[in-house]
Amino acid sequence: MLFRPNSSSGVPIYLQLMEQVKHGIETGALRPGEQLPGIRPLAEELVINPNTVAKAYRELEHEGVIELRHGAGAFVAGNAGAKKVSEKFRAGQAIVAAAVERLRARGVTDEEIRRLFEAELAGLARAPKSGGHSA
Amino acid sequence: MLWYKSWLETRWRFLIGLALLIVSATGTVLVYPRVAGILAAPPKVDVSGEIGRRVMEAIELSRDYRGYVWSQWFRQNMPQMWVLFAVLIGTGGLLSQGSGGGALFTLSLPITRQRLLAIRAATGLAELVVMAFVPSLFVTMFSPAIGQSYSLGDALVHSACLFIAGTTFFSLAFLLSTVFADIWRPALLACLVAAALAVTAEVVREFWRFSVFRVMTAEIYFRDGRLPWLGLLASAALSTAMLYAAARNISRQDF
Amino acid sequence: MGATVRDAPVIEAVDLRKSYEGVEAVRGLNLEVPAGSIFGFLGRNGAGKTTTIKVLLGMARPTGGGVRVFGLPADSPEASVDIRRRTGFVSEDKDLYDYMDVGEMIRLTASFYPRWRADLAQRYLRAFELPPDRKVKALSRGMRTKLALLLALCRGAELLILDEPTSGLDPAVTEEVLQALVTHVASEAMTVFFSSHQIAEVDQIADRIAIIDRGRTIVSGALDDLRENFRRVQLVFDGAAPEVEFSAPGVVRVRRNGRVLSVLSNAGAERVIEKGRAFGAVSVDVVPVTLKEIFLETVAAED
Repeated sequence: MLFRPNSSSGVPIYLQLMEQVKHGIETGALRPGEQLPGIRPLAEELVINPNTVAKAYRELEHEGVIELRHGAGAFVAGNAGAKKVSEKFRAGQAIVAAAVERLRARGVTDEEIRRLFEAELAGLARAPKSGGHSA
Repeated sequence: MLWYKSWLETRWRFLIGLALLIVSATGTVLVYPRVAGILAAPPKVDVSGEIGRRVMEAIELSRDYRGYVWSQWFRQNMPQMWVLFAVLIGTGGLLSQGSGGGALFTLSLPITRQRLLAIRAATGLAELVVMAFVPSLFVTMFSPAIGQSYSLGDALVHSACLFIAGTTFFSLAFLLSTVFADIWRPALLACLVAAALAVTAEVVREFWRFSVFRVMTAEIYFRDGRLPWLGLLASAALSTAMLYAAARNISRQDF
Repeated sequence: MGATVRDAPVIEAVDLRKSYEGVEAVRGLNLEVPAGSIFGFLGRNGAGKTTTIKVLLGMARPTGGGVRVFGLPADSPEASVDIRRRTGFVSEDKDLYDYMDVGEMIRLTASFYPRWRADLAQRYLRAFELPPDRKVKALSRGMRTKLALLLALCRGAELLILDEPTSGLDPAVTEEVLQALVTHVASEAMTVFFSSHQIAEVDQIADRIAIIDRGRTIVSGALDDLRENFRRVQLVFDGAAPEVEFSAPGVVRVRRNGRVLSVLSNAGAERVIEKGRAFGAVSVDVVPVTLKEIFLETVAAED
């Protein structure tokens, strides 16, 4: 984890950390079986709350992305878990790429595309005209 | 280490006061031969009333060395200066250290306010004891230098009476320091009270009988060799009451 | 890690009230600080933060309500001594004894705490570059803060109370202070309670917060929960936005601007959207909300 989470954005820090770990796995910066920084040193380095790091690690473990070995530390999950992440990531990437292309074809600007995605994720509904949709 | 802190806070007042008193004591002794010479021919004093009476009395007393020491040192120079420093040393404390003076730091320590107060009071009183006894011992020490002698016993008795009765002024300043948040008002008020008491006692004869200064100067001991027990007891009680009131004030204070 | 096994909150205030000479500084404040958390206490100047802290430490007595620290009543003088034995404190002015030097301050403080950590003191002295024989009054503001922090951290305390710890500090020193805090919390089991109006630093290191305004708590909870629950919903209407009273569960603030109704909700967006649609909104936009906005909006809503 080389860069600091943005504490002023609306996104919780632990989510940002989780994203960074997953991104690291996807790009190969973190390999299956590799050890992650300990909670304390990571919190020190990024100057964030150790509880936040712990939470991120717990959630990652819950999703099967990493393994927490008692006494030894946090490790990137063996092939199965990491592969699942990168497969999921690649599939997602494909879907997003297709959606973005279609939106651009309609003349929607990149900034508008970003807002649409954010709004969708933040839990909203489309306007009644375009046919309701639940969050 | 709070004792050390208390010392650091009062040490200049103490050292300066002690130095002044020692110099004054030595000076009072060394000046005697000149005074005795002048008094050989008694001046005619034309002041009437209580003050005139006192001046004549002082002159009479000074013919004899013991009388001189009592009227000049123990009744005049010593109490005046000592009371001033008793007030100065009694001033200070938590309330005046408000913000920036360390009061909040002190209050965050695991110690009761009573104990803090007690340490400050004890340090001040210890300093005042030294300032009451040491200069007078200098009188005894330097008297032989002018061919006189002053009894050590007398010095000790007078110093003790000065201290015990004089603590009332220390306690007054101490108490006022728990009422006013600045350092000027407690000191000024206590000095005014002392001055008022002193002047009244000098000018009105009836007041002198009950004055704290009479106890401080141990007039009864000087004249009759008896100790002013009642006065000492009353002073000690008054002092204690004021310190107790100060403790109550501090415990109820919001910072 | 910070979390300890205890369930009881380290600090608990229920309907706390404090008046100074007729002015009510704190009026019914509620607070719950769980063990092991880094708790940010946000509020404008004069909102009652420092007063609350003084009550916690027994420096001021509450006029009403109850406060407990470590389960002990904060307004009892004897219990307060116990509380202070287990607490480290840094005041807003970094109150210290000007006439002492760094070494003397350390020795004096150490003499009160049997669990004093001399090893940590040495480490911080070096890390903070504090000269042991420099008088406190000759220290720069940043060094004063670091010394005050050192004295608080090395007491072997379970609770750290800091009043605006980074006020007046340049960004480099601010970072040093935050890092020292985070490092300390990571290796010792302790709770940190700090008041601030620097939103950024609260964002960075706090896991729970409370926002106080005019002597009352108006928002409190886990920071992550707040980030997930607060949403701004922009409702666009065909004509002018309706003048009706827009109330739905969780609505904190509503602003009208021509055809747009901007609604801040602390309970997610769904109910607001429902209501908005019921009023005939033609388009809806939902965005997450930063802590700064949460602070500004909830405090402004009180005005």
